[in-house]
Amino acid sequence: MRIGLVCPYQWDVPGGVQYHVRDLAETLRALGHHVEVLTPAEHEEDLPAEHVTWAGRAVPVPYNGSMASMQIGLVSAARVRRWLREGAFDVVHVHEPASPSVSLLVCIIAKGPIVATFHAATTRSKVLAALGPWVRPWLEKISGRIAVSDFARRVQVEHLGGDAVVIPNGVHVPAFAEGPPLPGYARGGDAPTIGFLGRYDEPRKGLPVLLDAMRTVVRDHPRARLLVAGRGDPDGFADLVGADLAPHVTLLGELAETEKAAFLRSVDVYCAPNLLGESFGVVLLEAMAAGAPVVASDLDAFGRVLADGTAGVLVPRGDVAALARALSGLLADPVRRAELAGAGTRAVAGYDWSVVAQRILAVYETVAPTGGIGVTASADDDPALLGTPPPPGEAHPAVSGPFRRRVRR
Amino acid sequence: MTTGTWLLLAAGLVLALLLVSVTFTLTRLRRLAGRVRRAREVLDAALLRRAELAAALTRERSDELGAALTAALAEAAAEARAPSAGDREAAENQVGRLLRRVPAGTLTPELTEAGLRVGLARRFYNDAVRDTRALRRGRLARVLRLHARRPLPRYFDIDDGLDAVLTGPAPAGGGPQPRR
Repeated sequence: MRIGLVCPYQWDVPGGVQYHVRDLAETLRALGHHVEVLTPAEHEEDLPAEHVTWAGRAVPVPYNGSMASMQIGLVSAARVRRWLREGAFDVVHVHEPASPSVSLLVCIIAKGPIVATFHAATTRSKVLAALGPWVRPWLEKISGRIAVSDFARRVQVEHLGGDAVVIPNGVHVPAFAEGPPLPGYARGGDAPTIGFLGRYDEPRKGLPVLLDAMRTVVRDHPRARLLVAGRGDPDGFADLVGADLAPHVTLLGELAETEKAAFLRSVDVYCAPNLLGESFGVVLLEAMAAGAPVVASDLDAFGRVLADGTAGVLVPRGDVAALARALSGLLADPVRRAELAGAGTRAVAGYDWSVVAQRILAVYETVAPTGGIGVTASADDDPALLGTPPPPGEAHPAVSGPFRRRVRR
Repeated sequence: MTTGTWLLLAAGLVLALLLVSVTFTLTRLRRLAGRVRRAREVLDAALLRRAELAAALTRERSDELGAALTAALAEAAAEARAPSAGDREAAENQVGRLLRRVPAGTLTPELTEAGLRVGLARRFYNDAVRDTRALRRGRLARVLRLHARRPLPRYFDIDDGLDAVLTGPAPAGGGPQPRR
């Protein structure tokens, strides 16, 4: 199958959607499919040499606490058009098409089977609510919608008026399960470690709650250490931690992919104290794949990933005492830790990319059955919006097969 | 310019806008009709495949299924493969329910896969129907009858074991609550 994936966010900025697209592309390629990716990026030269096409630069706009990408314009439209023609895809898979990004642009221009994945799980989005009626005509062209979680699906149902099948995010289980730990932080040592990963200066990620809980934990386990990994402002970190906890907290800073896996393999307990706004929780899956017992706040998404608390410990979000109890209890009980790690490994097997990619392929095959028309760049209704009707002379070389585009008007 | 000219200009503008939106709605309706038709074809194919596999199962594994289940499943599969006779949805429901009673070891992987494909195809078909109905409910489309004698597509509702559409507010307790 020839598959075109569209990522709306800058490829050279780390982010969940970018990783999702990259891993999906790799997995599908390994299964013998031809996969091309179209994505914006800050610098064209940052992109991999093959199978990734630059869609220009996106203008970042603040959106739901993070950055969304705006990218609508004639130059981008021309790039999309060329990518669609040259790719001659059987199916195009766009991500997050509801924002005015290159994904929406592809929805406007492409004609044929389109699959879309919705990642966001925010119901307080005024942007989405305001854009709903405007993007609707283009989202109508999507024949198969995927949501990464029940919550993302609910957003889809409420704001955009459509249904979606739930296919969770994937994780490369073997990449996390096997390998060395971080040097100097082997799991099971006499100084137990708790891991935290995420933007530490963003309160909704919950580090302040975890730090408060640590004050209790270090009374029971004086040698316990908290390892903090992720992006943030290192200067403000010391103030955030406070002098009393400073000897127990180590800031690792931003980690590369391989370091992240090593970090998750090193910690005795992984903690996700997030307060709100997580749509999925890929990092929990990664921690489970790395064999770390997980303590997480009881967000919908986390409960789902942790199989309602059977594959990890759920604590009420923002509850310092409960979190401290759970962490202290786990650090004192190696048998329970091993049990949870085993349950986590079993639960995460269903999220391995090999399984998830098969489910996504089933969606592709459903919207684009064999012998279908494939995806072409349409020209029937976008001139009004984009102002670039292709000259009638170059009559779409990519359009071929039994269903040539009918000429109307 | 006189008031008359202004009025004429305004009327022209309104007419032009109306024309653009009518054209656009027509395009959308035509596109949606195509999507519904394609989704329907895929759904038909998926249902047919499941019925055929179920019929094959009754022929090949009848001793493991037991006489009662074999007879019932064979009848349901035959009914489902003759869509002209009676209620398609009821027939497919019957196949689905009987298949769920088949012991796990007897169910072929193809049949499980076919069941999943039915779920996907049905979801996507109903999605296309929902979009079409939403657009046809619009004032412009309704008053001008832009759908041009196309019949209103019907939902295809069977119990395929997939969870129902979640609407309304998030379940109480746990999870980020919508802030409005």
